[in-house]
Amino acid sequence: MIKFLLNGILRDKSRSVLPVIIVSIGVMLTVLLSGYMAGVFGDVVTQSAKFDTGHVKIMSKAYAENIDQLPNDLALLGINEVIAPLQEAYPDMDWVKRIKFGGLLDVLDEEGESKGQGPVTGMSFEIYSGNDSELKRMNFEDALVEGSIPAAKNEALLGVKFADQLGLKLGDEMTFIGSTMNGSMAFTVFKLVGTVRFGTAVMDEGAMIIDVADAQHLLDMENGTSEILGYLDNDVYDEEATLEISKVFNARYADSKDEFAPIMIPLKKQGELEELITLADSMSALLIAIFIFAMSIVLWNTGLLAGLRRYKEFGIRLSLGETKGHIYKTFIGEAILIGIIGSIIGTIIGLIGIYYLQEVGIDISSMMDQIDAGFMMPSVMRGKVTPNLFYIGFIPGLFAMVLGNMLSGMGIYKRQTASLMKELEV
Amino acid sequence: MNTETIISIENLTKQFPEGDGFFTALKDINLTFKKGEFTGVVGPSGSGKTTLLNIIGSLDKPTSGKVNVLGLDIGNLSHKESANLRNKHIGFIFQVYNLLPVYTVFENVEFALLLQSYTKSERKKMVMESLEWVGLGDQASKRVTKLSGGEGQRVAIARAMVKRPQIVIADEPTANLDAANAHAILKTMKKLNQELNTTFLFSTHDEKVMTYLDRIIHLRDGKLESEEFISHENDKV
Repeated sequence: MIKFLLNGILRDKSRSVLPVIIVSIGVMLTVLLSGYMAGVFGDVVTQSAKFDTGHVKIMSKAYAENIDQLPNDLALLGINEVIAPLQEAYPDMDWVKRIKFGGLLDVLDEEGESKGQGPVTGMSFEIYSGNDSELKRMNFEDALVEGSIPAAKNEALLGVKFADQLGLKLGDEMTFIGSTMNGSMAFTVFKLVGTVRFGTAVMDEGAMIIDVADAQHLLDMENGTSEILGYLDNDVYDEEATLEISKVFNARYADSKDEFAPIMIPLKKQGELEELITLADSMSALLIAIFIFAMSIVLWNTGLLAGLRRYKEFGIRLSLGETKGHIYKTFIGEAILIGIIGSIIGTIIGLIGIYYLQEVGIDISSMMDQIDAGFMMPSVMRGKVTPNLFYIGFIPGLFAMVLGNMLSGMGIYKRQTASLMKELEV
Repeated sequence: MNTETIISIENLTKQFPEGDGFFTALKDINLTFKKGEFTGVVGPSGSGKTTLLNIIGSLDKPTSGKVNVLGLDIGNLSHKESANLRNKHIGFIFQVYNLLPVYTVFENVEFALLLQSYTKSERKKMVMESLEWVGLGDQASKRVTKLSGGEGQRVAIARAMVKRPQIVIADEPTANLDAANAHAILKTMKKLNQELNTTFLFSTHDEKVMTYLDRIIHLRDGKLESEEFISHENDKV
């Protein structure tokens, strides 16, 4: 019977081609959009983790409450006592110091006169003062446009666009003007040793990057840091693990009334990332639901047309002794077969498309100035080929095809065998 | 000929709803059919021919009275039991051949067997034997859309006969055929009737059909008007 049905589907193009095309298009769009969203949201999470949030972030409670203001006066002090037990408890994790700060960058001419100034976002990493984990994580070598990575005290990198705006060349000196964590004025001359491009507007258009030891010195923050970021083994994010580690850590300080007591916040709970991750999950579910609904309506109509066209065939089969239930089952069986074929075709095309988007991406850097996202966003939005893309299209593809045909096939049960002779006369 | 009664009809009445009342298609019909009959039901349009064959073929149920086919009470059969009766014991031949156009001659005939539990080799043997009966053994792989009208009706006969049914119901089987093809088809059916002792019941207006019948039942306005038995003792197809 299966061979009989398969022959019917293959030979009767009107029974197969249109539904296969509809299913393929719907599945292709589902795969494309799911892969694109996975890529974009995944990139946002990865970027945020690398640049800003870590997989977990430790701050003082007071700093955490005012984090939008980068309140370095509320930074953690005595950080070795915080980091050492964590390294012992989680030896596979990497714990790094980060300090962000704001100020003014003053550029001097050959005669030492100010030739330009601009607000700057200072970012500090363990560039030469720690192991090389931060260098690898931030991929400084690849981000470097020209020059070299800071290797000595008071050497700095600038975002490539920022350096251009200020008219700075390698070797030029610039004065950072800001305030220490104690509120005193902070002046330090830094030497520009390299320019970098990370593909994010925040970094490329207004950032100065220095070693965390320089930042501690600049801000009078010896044995202190505004943030300690924790990264799981191999920098692979695991939401469950971060929630568990944070829970254990915070339990230790739960009863502390000290506003400078540390608090650990997992990636998901930082900024607007939780909303973003929830949104990504909801969007995927919504997308599938929309495609199931839309395709079911189209395929229901296609099924109704097929039912009309095959009215006579079903009549003949009833007269030959096939039950209505069996005809209905074979009708659904055909739908499953067509749904599988359409889903395979749609998945292959969708995967090719998403692979292209993964490799090439869509450059949105021109729009970045108008976006205030509340989290790190890459300037090239890329898709991502994930394992679930190999099956996700089958959900709307099969479900819509079967649902559409289940609805349209109900007419089989309304057939009156008593009318068959008359109906089959013409 | 085996004289076993395979169909018995007692006081059959069939009514259809019409407006506020009912239209009586068959009224108080009493008939019996024996195994191996070659019988025609004739009468003008609206006389009840098709309704009678519908009920015998288990496509419809009586309003009152009793119709027993091969020991089964048609009025009490479920949809599944009716389908099973048609599937195993009753073959249908229609005025238009009603073949499935996307399939070959072989596949059209084989379909009736797919609903039963025959093996592939059994099906092949039965289908080819059936096609040989109707003279289409060499056309098995041809698409039915490539066949002439006469050949199409032969395939329909092969499809009805392939499961070796005890009863074949033919509704105006020659209405769309020219005289030569109609005679060829009727001879084929008569031969199968004689060789396999299959009971053939026709609904017809066609004079050509009547010359082959052993028994003619005349219906008028849903009532049994008369019946005649014709002897063809010297005929041999």
